[in-house]
Amino acid sequence: MLRYILKRLLIMIVTIWIIVTLTFVLMISIPGSPFNSERGTNENVQANLEAHYNLDKPYHIQYLLYLKSIATFDFGPSIKQPGQTVNDLLGRGFPVSLELGLVTIIVAVISGIILGILAALKHNGILDYAAMSFAVLGISIPNFVLATLLIQELAVNWQIFPPATWSSPAHMVLPVIALATGPMAIIARLTRSTMLEVLTQDYIKMARAKGLSPWKIVVKHALRNALMPVITIMGTLLASILTGTFVIEKIFAIPGMGKYFVESINQRDYPVIMGTTVFYSTFLIFMLFLVDIAYGILDPRIKINKKGGE
Amino acid sequence: MKKWLVILMSLLTMMVLAACTANEDAGKEKDDSGSDDGAEAAEEDSGEKVLYLNNSKEPTSFDPAIGFDAQSWNSLNNLMEGLTRLGEDHTPEAAIAEDWDVSEDGKTYTFHLRENANWSNGDPVTSDDFVYAWERLLDPETGSAAAFLGYFIEGGEDFNSGEGSADDLGLTAVDDKTFEVQLENPTGYFLHVLTNPAFFPVNKAVAEDNPDWHTEADSFVSNGPFALETWKHDDEMMMVKNEEYWDADTVKLDKVHWAMVDNENTEYQMYQSDELDASDIPADLSDELIDGDDVAMEEQGGLEFYRFNVNEEPFTNKKIRKAFALAANREEIAQYVVKNGVEPAFGFVSPGFTSPDDGDFRDANGDLVTFEPDEAKKLLAEGMEEEGYDELPPVTLSYSTDDTNKAIAESLQNMFSDALDVDVTLENKEWNVFQEEQKELKHQLSRSSFLFDYADPINFLESFITDSSMNRTGWSNEAYDQLIKDAKAEKDEGKRWDLMYEAEALLAEEMPLFPIRYYNQVEVIKDGVTGILRHPVGYLELKHADVE
Repeated sequence: MLRYILKRLLIMIVTIWIIVTLTFVLMISIPGSPFNSERGTNENVQANLEAHYNLDKPYHIQYLLYLKSIATFDFGPSIKQPGQTVNDLLGRGFPVSLELGLVTIIVAVISGIILGILAALKHNGILDYAAMSFAVLGISIPNFVLATLLIQELAVNWQIFPPATWSSPAHMVLPVIALATGPMAIIARLTRSTMLEVLTQDYIKMARAKGLSPWKIVVKHALRNALMPVITIMGTLLASILTGTFVIEKIFAIPGMGKYFVESINQRDYPVIMGTTVFYSTFLIFMLFLVDIAYGILDPRIKINKKGGE
Repeated sequence: MKKWLVILMSLLTMMVLAACTANEDAGKEKDDSGSDDGAEAAEEDSGEKVLYLNNSKEPTSFDPAIGFDAQSWNSLNNLMEGLTRLGEDHTPEAAIAEDWDVSEDGKTYTFHLRENANWSNGDPVTSDDFVYAWERLLDPETGSAAAFLGYFIEGGEDFNSGEGSADDLGLTAVDDKTFEVQLENPTGYFLHVLTNPAFFPVNKAVAEDNPDWHTEADSFVSNGPFALETWKHDDEMMMVKNEEYWDADTVKLDKVHWAMVDNENTEYQMYQSDELDASDIPADLSDELIDGDDVAMEEQGGLEFYRFNVNEEPFTNKKIRKAFALAANREEIAQYVVKNGVEPAFGFVSPGFTSPDDGDFRDANGDLVTFEPDEAKKLLAEGMEEEGYDELPPVTLSYSTDDTNKAIAESLQNMFSDALDVDVTLENKEWNVFQEEQKELKHQLSRSSFLFDYADPINFLESFITDSSMNRTGWSNEAYDQLIKDAKAEKDEGKRWDLMYEAEALLAEEMPLFPIRYYNQVEVIKDGVTGILRHPVGYLELKHADVE
């Protein structure tokens, strides 16, 4: 197990290095500069600014500087928000995104699984159809459309919840609904289909024959197996939702880190691009790693220690 | 294996527990928001006047030398004050400077600072604070994008380009409250230039002690109508009335709350649910809202235009350039494409600049570029003949990706096709790539915009001298360069304006660019909110604002 983890860690570092290098190459190959403006930046000023941020140095030196900043987890100052370091931006954006993301995931997972189980148990019944039509709607409506609709109806017309910004738990309700609906629908469908499959298997019949209560059969025997596919998508889902979602954060004016991903690229804010990419990829890789470990625990057929030993 | 299971299970349990608590919170949300609203209502009951505005984005920087954009300077303009400040008639008034003397040759300004002008921490505002701030603005080490505004000051350009030194700058602190400035040229509009946030003073003692003083509310010292109480980055700001401000009696608001909502639909929805006192009008709702009672409209000095690349065929020919310019129906573009009450541009300098004889620059120089499809067709034929074209070389019109830009480009494509029988190809690029290509003269015909930094036509006109970073057309004209040079050196205002009229007419004659429309500032404002001042050239002013 330990050997497996060490091996995975090593692969993770190599993967991150490849991502960093690719990002750097892509970053310098897109035309544009953080100092471009409609006004046309004066040549002196542009030269001063480039010197200030080491952008006048040859690419290989810049690359080494980036590697150094990544190794020390100090990405330096943002170019477009001077006075703020990239660490500052991540440090205040990530907790907000994390809070929103955790609540969203929890809501999505719990409601998705419940919907899926209900649909599977009442297979081809009204409840099944209702739950699945709801799920199809959830998958098909993009979250930004849902977000605007929620604001217009629940905030402007009905005035139940505040429309935007991030200051009280009430402000969380609309963005969480908007964000959770999609993943919830996916989870519900996955749970339903695997649940249906599992419920027809022999060991479930066996459990029934032993006289276990239906509740116990579902929760103790069926659910554990039915959750495998859900676990599979959890890794990516967690990483993408926890590190912030650009559109939803923008619509609801949530000070998370989603916007840094997109805006840093538009503005060619190189240190922020690097910082967010490294942060996101590390997070994603770590989540996938956790998922792999979770497999081994939930499904005894997957033996991690053996795999690692070979 | 068992151990792992236990650990993971306990982790999961913790997560579920966390979920439950979060959900409990979610259940309480309504009450919380209720009490929040209650608090706001209570504040209003206690007679506190709070104005709720949207800054759309996190200010780039509250360092006066660095934050060269509207999202920094619209708010900063209310925290700080320079030597002069724009008044209700949009002209500069005495501010930190109580009065000033101008030398005979118009090149030396001596400012007398107010005895009661203080920083929010109680320090007096001294001439050293101005010297310190302006030297920083021009210091190449600072890397200020606004530094070019300081080129009016003697030695400014040399210092900024690394050739001169700070000692050679024409800035002298005669004593604590007397500040002398030497200019390169007599600059009749210098008092207006000074209202620009780039010229705000910086509290030298505070800045030397803590170079990052401007990044947090706790360390921020202001000398304007408001002080910064809280600043949650990328989230919200609260300004409070600055009791140390010399003219605090004029300031009626107790607080200004700034949200940072970067989505015009959300902004308008917040306005509808009374969370904001003013909002921009979302483009989709323009037709519906523009005639409403709550709409406030103010001109904005600037121009949307298209640049020709005069090095690239077919726009090497003046007549062909003019043909394209005259084929564009600006009236239609302004009214049906851009909407929001904007005015079509028949000249280059936007209306609103008052000449020495109290006329308007635009009226005096008249309509220079109008819609004349027949004339356009004739000019195109003549131009093609001159160049010996049987067929016009292909033309590509470029714009940066944006809905309005696209709509304008498409209508221009139609107009060129109708009036000139020319089919231009449209091309859009991501904003930054577009800027880069325009800078390198890779376009033939490309969309551009300009907003005035200070209220004098020269600000725009000097953009098109040879090799200016704002030129980007490849156009170079000796006569034009000379006119601008003369205008900048001219001491007599009447003569200076004549030179500028001539320069603009030459621009229309040579047509390296053609105008589309002028800008305006449109917003909806709640009933009972008064005195929010938007200048045609300048930044948002809340000194006189009030809420009922």
